[in-house]
Amino acid sequence: MPDTNSSRTATTANMTAKNTEGTKTMKTIVSVRGLEKRYVLGKDNYVDALRGASVNVGSGEMVAIMGPSGCGKSTMLHMMGCLDEPDSGEVWLNGRRVDDLSTRATTKLLREEIGFIFQGFNLVPSMTALENVALASQYAGRSRREAQRLALEALEAVGLADRAGHRPSELSGGQQQRVAIARALVNRPAVIMGDEPTGNLDSTSSTEVIDMMREINLLTGTTFILVTHDPDVASGCDRIIHMRDGVVTDEIACCVAIDREPGLAGAEEDADRELAEVA
Amino acid sequence: MRIFRNVFRRKMRAILTILGITIGVFALVVMGSMAEKINLMVSGGTRYYSDKVVITDASTPTGGYSTTPIAVNRIQEIEDVPGVARASAGIYILLDEESGMSMNGIVGSDMRNQGYETFELRMAEGRDLTAADRDKAVVGCDIAKALDAKVGGTIDLRGKPFEVVGIYAKTLTAPDNTAVISLHDVQQLLYVQLPAIVQAQVDPDELATSITAYPDPGVDPDQLASTIEGTVSNVNASGPQAFIDQFKSATKIFNSIIFGVALISLLVGGLSVVNTMTMAVLERTREIGIRKAIGASHRQIVGQFLTESAFIGFLGGATGLLLGWIAATVVNALMEQSGTVLFLVTPRLAIGAVAFAIVLGVASGFYPSFHAARLKPVLALRYE
Repeated sequence: MPDTNSSRTATTANMTAKNTEGTKTMKTIVSVRGLEKRYVLGKDNYVDALRGASVNVGSGEMVAIMGPSGCGKSTMLHMMGCLDEPDSGEVWLNGRRVDDLSTRATTKLLREEIGFIFQGFNLVPSMTALENVALASQYAGRSRREAQRLALEALEAVGLADRAGHRPSELSGGQQQRVAIARALVNRPAVIMGDEPTGNLDSTSSTEVIDMMREINLLTGTTFILVTHDPDVASGCDRIIHMRDGVVTDEIACCVAIDREPGLAGAEEDADRELAEVA
Repeated sequence: MRIFRNVFRRKMRAILTILGITIGVFALVVMGSMAEKINLMVSGGTRYYSDKVVITDASTPTGGYSTTPIAVNRIQEIEDVPGVARASAGIYILLDEESGMSMNGIVGSDMRNQGYETFELRMAEGRDLTAADRDKAVVGCDIAKALDAKVGGTIDLRGKPFEVVGIYAKTLTAPDNTAVISLHDVQQLLYVQLPAIVQAQVDPDELATSITAYPDPGVDPDQLASTIEGTVSNVNASGPQAFIDQFKSATKIFNSIIFGVALISLLVGGLSVVNTMTMAVLERTREIGIRKAIGASHRQIVGQFLTESAFIGFLGGATGLLLGWIAATVVNALMEQSGTVLFLVTPRLAIGAVAFAIVLGVASGFYPSFHAARLKPVLALRYE
């Protein structure tokens, strides 16, 4: 749909208002320190999923977390996103410690500051695309009407406004994942976390979804943290965090030439200058 | 609309659950409408007996309707008892001795009670009976339908033709099923029924089945009843309390049946809602995980599942009420021939039955809903 593309970009640009300011300085938005988690499966039978993992993610960054199966990358992502609690260690989000919050405060956080994308799309099957996206907005306290308006805006941003009335079963995998992205986006969170976002997609749809996330990242400054096996996803990110046996082994910055928005590029230069001054 | 889609995601299961509640509520409505009808009759009866003492032959049980004759000339004896303002002789016989189901009866009175009787009967058509009328009848509205009685027409009472001169307005209690004729006429009807050996001993004009005593103003009818029993030999005197007690024991049995039906439907319907909702929660564990991951609170999850179970309850209740109402109406229409109205679906019963079903749904949805809300999002998401 080449003719809808331009309007889509315009809409996406409209959504930047809230987040561009956050990217002026590359401050840390998500930080985990010394995370440990043991899953007890039975007597004397346990798995140490995390053994002291630490990592920082900067605001506006798009990072990939990679590693072999069972290295604890999903567990770490869930803890960053407050879906799970560590046995020890700390999780910080936007300058606040969040691993010891009450259920109520965690719910608020999930509504306002974190968006999730999953491998299995995880849309509610009985609801249309619009209803799925609006649901997140309604949980955040918006009226049904307002939620639907925002949901339509988010669907426009992912280029699926014309599929708003379709159920997940009537959409392709790539389209479903774009609906999930719209849902993660609708409350304008600071961070969107993806757990194998392209894991169930063919390569064409994968590319589509990766490009979509990158576009949102660049236009809105939303931080993306993606757990992935897919080298294509990883190579599209700013940085790759490698994990093995429950710890972060190394962090590699990707040397991909990315056409950042002029404002954002400027922001990065500012950040560089600040770093130089500190040094 | 969304609730509807969620509830009917598993069509067969939803329908079976709703059917469970439907059957319970159906039973409740049918039994309940029977009870409502009986309660109305009883309250009418209680009203009727509230200001009088009914005197029967000593051989009949207290409060029972008598088939043993009592002599009309004992009126004088009874009126002499201090506190009795007036005594009036009457006969009540069943319209049809053979039919046990029918409540239809024939009443004859000497009309001495006029001016003392407080139970008001209005005429729907025609005129009321007078003491001088012979071979004439005034009928209640239900028995009128059974006998196809019209004012000016003739009806057959125990093989004897009577001219219908009036039809009473609906009272929802005993008079609806009663044909009223003069004492003289009913005496003849009763007399021919008596065994020959008894016939030889009685004068039909002296025949009655009960004598009703009306107390003087301010005299307690129950006390008067014991006074009469103490003064007049060989009689049974029943005050209002005797009838109330008798009615109470009859309605008590019925009310416990209703309670039992309600309890069974509560158990069966409730358990099936618990089962359905638990299954629904299990099947939708992943969905609950998603909802929590995108910011659903405990309360929102509980609210969602409780709404669904309340909706199941409502659908079951509404269907049960509809079927119960149809059954009651159909049976009433079929029984119209015999003049018996068995069911009365009152607004309070209808509202009560549906409310009961909704409460049942909500109560049964509690456990599964809280179970759903307590699921850890990360575990719920991992669930396949």
